[in-house]
Amino acid sequence: MTAVDTPTVRKGGRISRLPPWLRRVLPLLAILGPGLVAANAGNDAGGILTYASAGSQFGYRTLFLMVLVTVALVVVQEMCSRLGAYTGEGLGALIREQFPLRSGAAAMVLLFIANAGLTVSEFAGIGASMELFGVSRYIAVPVGLAAIWAVTVFGNYSRAERVFLAMGLVFIAYPIAAVLAHPHWGTVVSNLVWPHFLHTKAFLLLAVALIGTTITPYMQFYIASAVVDKGVTPDTYRNERIDTVNGAILSDVVSIFIIIATAAAIGGTGPLSSVSQAASALRPVAGAAASQLFAVGLLGASVLAATVVPLSSAYAIAETAGVERSLSRKFREAPVFYGIFTAQLVIGAMVALLPGNLVELVINAQVLNGFITPVLLTYVLILANRRSVLGAAANGRVFRAVATVCVSVVAVLSATVLVQTVAGWV
Amino acid sequence: MGFNKPTWTPGRDRIGSSASRSRRLAEIRERRQRQTRDRLAARELEGSLLSLAALLGSDVKAADGNTIGSLRDVVVRWTAGAPYPRMTAIVVRTGKRDVLIGARWIEMRPPATVRLRSSKAYARAVERHPDDVDLAQDVLDHQVVDSSGTQVVRPADVYLAETDDGIEVLGIEVGLGALLRRIGPSFLRSRIRPQHVIDWQDMASFAPARADGSRPRGRRSDMAGRAGTGLELGGPAGDVKRLSPSEVRTALRAYKTRSDRDST
Repeated sequence: MTAVDTPTVRKGGRISRLPPWLRRVLPLLAILGPGLVAANAGNDAGGILTYASAGSQFGYRTLFLMVLVTVALVVVQEMCSRLGAYTGEGLGALIREQFPLRSGAAAMVLLFIANAGLTVSEFAGIGASMELFGVSRYIAVPVGLAAIWAVTVFGNYSRAERVFLAMGLVFIAYPIAAVLAHPHWGTVVSNLVWPHFLHTKAFLLLAVALIGTTITPYMQFYIASAVVDKGVTPDTYRNERIDTVNGAILSDVVSIFIIIATAAAIGGTGPLSSVSQAASALRPVAGAAASQLFAVGLLGASVLAATVVPLSSAYAIAETAGVERSLSRKFREAPVFYGIFTAQLVIGAMVALLPGNLVELVINAQVLNGFITPVLLTYVLILANRRSVLGAAANGRVFRAVATVCVSVVAVLSATVLVQTVAGWV
Repeated sequence: MGFNKPTWTPGRDRIGSSASRSRRLAEIRERRQRQTRDRLAARELEGSLLSLAALLGSDVKAADGNTIGSLRDVVVRWTAGAPYPRMTAIVVRTGKRDVLIGARWIEMRPPATVRLRSSKAYARAVERHPDDVDLAQDVLDHQVVDSSGTQVVRPADVYLAETDDGIEVLGIEVGLGALLRRIGPSFLRSRIRPQHVIDWQDMASFAPARADGSRPRGRRSDMAGRAGTGLELGGPAGDVKRLSPSEVRTALRAYKTRSDRDST
């Protein structure tokens, strides 16, 4: 997905060597803009399991929250792609230039921590999906790690990325499953337009996890860098904005259908305890093959995100340091970039191998992201408000108000859960 | 049976191995000496180099010792002929507004003392001259690219030094130590120890920001050297030398004697 510095697909020579059917499919995938790609990366292992858990634990009650989160996601992603298009620099670079060094360093540390948590959850997703095929995660995770590293450092990343992306398309099965499962449409609609929230700690915690998995910091850093790399200028920004907004909405529509499908199938059975439970929501579509179908999709999404998330930290930190960052360079030419990528990958895989409940681990990583998201969003908001950065394209009065409300709601929610958790320990 | 194991094995050249060992020892010794030399040089330089990172935000004092504001930026003039750009003014924040004070009124002492020379200094409104480079706004923390467009580093600090005819920019610090110094506790801020310095002479071009304040658009690495995009090195990144503290000291001495000779 990080189309950053991967212009290989545009070169005719490479494509002509592919089999004919792939030659027809590839251009279709190649036109996917960074906006669509970035937002759909949100439907990764963590995303799918969190949405499924929301459906199984609280039925349709979280749907209204998802509508709000979609609005916030659109607002945030638009700001980031605008920053990229108008300044020609990624968020990492802008943070180094525009903020005092200490706050810039703090932002990078937070991003690294958030992404470390996510990488763990992606590897947990790889392990869990292969366990559905009967392969032990102690084999699947190390093999996955080696494959991802080799493809990214030595191989043709852009081609591999499209294969993973195509595997992730399996999750389009969820809307179909949701329809086939005959949910109570009346309840669904009433939950979508009016909040039916519960005043329990479990609900609040899941709400933060939902926010954390939908508005993920790496998506913001990714989209800004990708827009810069694509060479979007202020003149061509109009199309880019359409792509960004569409991508955010489309990805959240899939998320909402995952919740509906799971709620209709196993709603009210308490928190998700295993991956096969999440797979059972696909039974209306695939019947007995539901578990395999789910595993393919989960594997594709996890492998893709396990590559993109460490890459986004590597890009951001290398941008901040000002050193060379590009997949087209060799390891020796961009040691910092590849070093951070490798470190995050290895740490993620090792933590994912610790014994324990994979689903719980994955959802905890989303909660961690939920805490870090509002902090990093504040940087984005300040940058997008600044006229010295964006000139006439800086946030207008109305947009600024909407964006501020979005960020503060997310912040208040996270803070509440944080205080409750800390109070729970004491 | 092991007691009469031969101490000499055929084919193993003991003399050769001891020679390589002594060479290794000599290398280690030399590295130690170099490190000591650099440490001493760095400590010595602490008294003669001005650090932009330490200067920024520090108090600007009037001749009578009263604080008139805090330093916001240092303005230098980029002239094609001269290797080292000279400071022309400083931007001082007084109350809620910024004013420009010309370099001839200013006296700077390492590590971070800024004073007005006389009780009557002339301050004017901030305006940008096309050849002006604002060090904090345009150089510090901004991308440096090499002649092929490869992104190399962002300067962690900018070093200046006082000569007879004014204050000039000597080079940029690219070491990690300077970054840590700025992130760390504030009492360490004035501990200026150069680590890896790129001589300003190695800078091929610096195109200052446009007069209207707009920034150029597009990928930074594609536009090296264009207006407002930042610093470009004169050669490939591998060829540009990063000076160690003792080399900086040597360069500084040579530079001072040269400027003395020029002024006489």
